Amino acid sequence: MKEAFVSLVTALADDELIIGHRHSEWTGFAPHIEEDVAFSSIAQDEIGHASAFYSLIAEATDTTPDRMALGREPGDYRHAVLCERPNRDWSYSLVRHWLYDTADDVRLEALQESAHAGLAALATKIRREERYHLLHANAWIKRVSEGPVEGRTRLIDALGRCYLEALALFDSLELEDSILENDLLPCSSSELRSRFAKRATSELDDFGLPADIHRDLDDSAEFLASSSGDLIASDQGAPTTSSRSGIGGRAGEHSDDFKPLWDEMTSTHRQHPDAQW
Amino acid sequence: MEVYEIFRRSGHKSPFEHCGAVIAPDPEMALLLGKECFLRRREGEHLWVVRRSDIHALEDESVLEIAADKSYRFASDYRDVVGKREAARRRVASMSSGGAS
Repeated sequence: MKEAFVSLVTALADDELIIGHRHSEWTGFAPHIEEDVAFSSIAQDEIGHASAFYSLIAEATDTTPDRMALGREPGDYRHAVLCERPNRDWSYSLVRHWLYDTADDVRLEALQESAHAGLAALATKIRREERYHLLHANAWIKRVSEGPVEGRTRLIDALGRCYLEALALFDSLELEDSILENDLLPCSSSELRSRFAKRATSELDDFGLPADIHRDLDDSAEFLASSSGDLIASDQGAPTTSSRSGIGGRAGEHSDDFKPLWDEMTSTHRQHPDAQW
Repeated sequence: MEVYEIFRRSGHKSPFEHCGAVIAPDPEMALLLGKECFLRRREGEHLWVVRRSDIHALEDESVLEIAADKSYRFASDYRDVVGKREAARRRVASMSSGGAS
């Protein structure tokens, strides 16, 4: 039961920490000063949520939030690969922000029903703050998608890169059977994935963006998202290891993009482990 | 993009006060950006944005200058009225007693 709880909350916390870290890389570089402040604040919020989740783990086990966030080896992190991808252009970061926060909303809504009272209460609290993130993401996507064709093209390109990796946010968690048996999560990851895919494709449709997204053929993706939210196996043949590169984060299998982020993020902690700030 | 002036209020009985400006494409975006720029540390519980071009300003600020002594318009000028009245009474009394001698 405790192991299942730690598995679930570690995945949640690691997602928030790593995407918060990537968002924070825009500080000083966002398109204009107002957005710089807004996006940096969103990054801080995500890291704050990670800290709250790690604190729940620290209450249940013999660790500290700092050690959870910064004192583990790269293979111990359980975030989805989507979160660790480097920022490309602004539209990539916007699309990832939109997909991630839409997925997070689906997940937090379910977590509000968790049998673990502390986790359910935290999900409710975090979801209140996430409302602003969703408003912000939606406002941007709407404007860029209605704007000049270059912006639209870039959004579509970013969706092609991000969409399948966003579905992997709902890959099965370690000890998922035990998580479900104990009602820590009221429904399975694959059920949440269907809800997310249904919502994302319908909202993308409202933006006039393509809701049937697949990767470029040379990326030979093995799944296509359909507007019903189901995954359809594509006819690209058997998946190769490289085509699965966006998947596996929940099992600690990260892309080459993670190690440099981890090096930077943990460098101070590794020099001064257990320092008090 | 246009300039939007941001107003916030600290409590529901307080007046909205100007706190800064953002550059935004429309009011909705100005509200979203204004919130993060000026209210992210609980500085207020409500937010207005106003397009700067919708604000009408005096063309000539010099009409606000006060040329003559208008101290009678300030409450502070009426401080110690009792003391002043007593001093005036004494002055009048001394003038009338001086006239009798």
